[in-house]
Amino acid sequence: MLNLPSQISEAADYVRQRWTTTPRVGIILGTGLGNLADHINAELRLDYQAIPHFSQSTALGHKGQLVCGHLSGVPVVTMEGRFHLYEGYSARQITLPVRVMNELGIELLIISNASGGLNPNFNSGDVMVIEDHVNLMNDNPLIGINNDQLGPRFPDMSSPYDPQLVELALSIARRENFMAHPGVYVGLNGPNYETRAEYRFLRGIGDAVGMSTVPEVIVAAHTGLRVLALSTVTNMCYPDAPEKTEGNDIIAIASAVEPRLRSIVSGVLARIDS
Amino acid sequence: MLELYNQIEAAASKITAQWKHTPDVGIILGTGLGGLVDQIEVEAAVDYEDIPHFPRSTAVSHRGRLVCGQLCGLRVIAMEGRVHHYEGYALKQITLPVRVMKHLGAKLLIVSNAVGGMNPYYRPGDIMLIEDHINLMMDNPLIGINDDRLGPRFPDMSQPYNWELIDVALAVARRENVVAHKGVLVAVTGPNLETRAEYRFLKMIGADVVGMSTVPEVIVAAHCDLPTIGFSIITDMCLPDTLKPANVNEIVATANEAEPRLRTLVTGVLEHVAQNG
Repeated sequence: MLNLPSQISEAADYVRQRWTTTPRVGIILGTGLGNLADHINAELRLDYQAIPHFSQSTALGHKGQLVCGHLSGVPVVTMEGRFHLYEGYSARQITLPVRVMNELGIELLIISNASGGLNPNFNSGDVMVIEDHVNLMNDNPLIGINNDQLGPRFPDMSSPYDPQLVELALSIARRENFMAHPGVYVGLNGPNYETRAEYRFLRGIGDAVGMSTVPEVIVAAHTGLRVLALSTVTNMCYPDAPEKTEGNDIIAIASAVEPRLRSIVSGVLARIDS
Repeated sequence: MLELYNQIEAAASKITAQWKHTPDVGIILGTGLGGLVDQIEVEAAVDYEDIPHFPRSTAVSHRGRLVCGQLCGLRVIAMEGRVHHYEGYALKQITLPVRVMKHLGAKLLIVSNAVGGMNPYYRPGDIMLIEDHINLMMDNPLIGINDDRLGPRFPDMSQPYNWELIDVALAVARRENVVAHKGVLVAVTGPNLETRAEYRFLKMIGADVVGMSTVPEVIVAAHCDLPTIGFSIITDMCLPDTLKPANVNEIVATANEAEPRLRTLVTGVLEHVAQNG
């Protein structure tokens, strides 16, 4: 981790030279949620391949652009498309953008993803506000000699998701009249979906399962960023009544739910100072 | 794993050049638990960086030297400071010292570590004799082509911690009025501490304490047929429903406070071994 500071500052400088505003919020858009980026008053769009040390986005439904601009009047830097372990990147590569956004000055990181519902009380199309996670991924972005400038050797994880923002997100969902649940997200490598036996195991330890977000949140905890993470439950994982999962169906449901996520994001941005 | 044999010999010959004796016991001391080394009648001390193929320690509160000498009438070789998976080392590197100790002739391995307690009957400062473990690290030190000179392809793990010595240690604890438990260690990679949801999961699968070390060394000790006893110091409680932010300085302070009690148990076990072979 000792070469990270120079990578972070080179990537951040590249953005700063083209966009002088200090962002207050960083947003990572997951599967099918790219439409949210269309609502940003974009002042700059950068392809990931142009930014030093950034990886390339290869996943289905992920564009691969950093969008800088204003959303609900708040300066934001948005990742339209994210990186995953299953693309072959290390957790450290995946999370470099979080460190870059932190360097650019964000105070809050908002993450979205698509997940499979494990909790039988959920339905597809519901929003889960991530309250906590279980890391079952085979990598950790903090492995290596720690750089104390970036964060502590052993970051505390007793509250990686800001409890006040969880409450705020749930209250916005009630006001907007759609189902949102607080819950535990289990992060797996993928890329295969889970077996029925794995779903039975995961149901015992979490409410939804997905292949992202956990590395970014660990790095956010390492750097001391506040986090709000929203998961779209795109399909239900019933181990005893399994249905075949199709990547394209998941993207369609995620896109349909996108306005709900957007209402939470704008509601949170509207109250960023309160 | 075919490169290991030569690495072990190179490291061992560097040590024997400075210390001619055959060790009875190898000792690996964990976070805040290095004080036992002060009781060793030191005959030689070799910095890790001077030993070929030895990894260097980068962790908080770990020194990095191998101390050779006498303790309780036995020849011991003690690692003062260990290296961890989260420092970026492969488990094969981390566990090389165990193989070197075996090669030098050690007949017992003593390991200690600092852990978070998940069993609600434990208290910070208590000691747990490791009765068994669950490996949730993302690596295994035995991956690769097996070198049959070092151990079997599929090592048995039905009893990786020596039950007779666990009973000896618990008897010493009762005699000396030290609170000691017997329980299951789950090892995770770290370096971040666990979330509440993760603690619930780890408790559910049968673990009493959670730590970031020891399991790789014990797997290798089982591979090379080196009897092992493991001590965990509970440095903080990880109860998911009342979880407070962890304070690394407090954890190290609790380890330091409990260290004399650990020393009592370790020397008690060593005295038993010295008398009974």
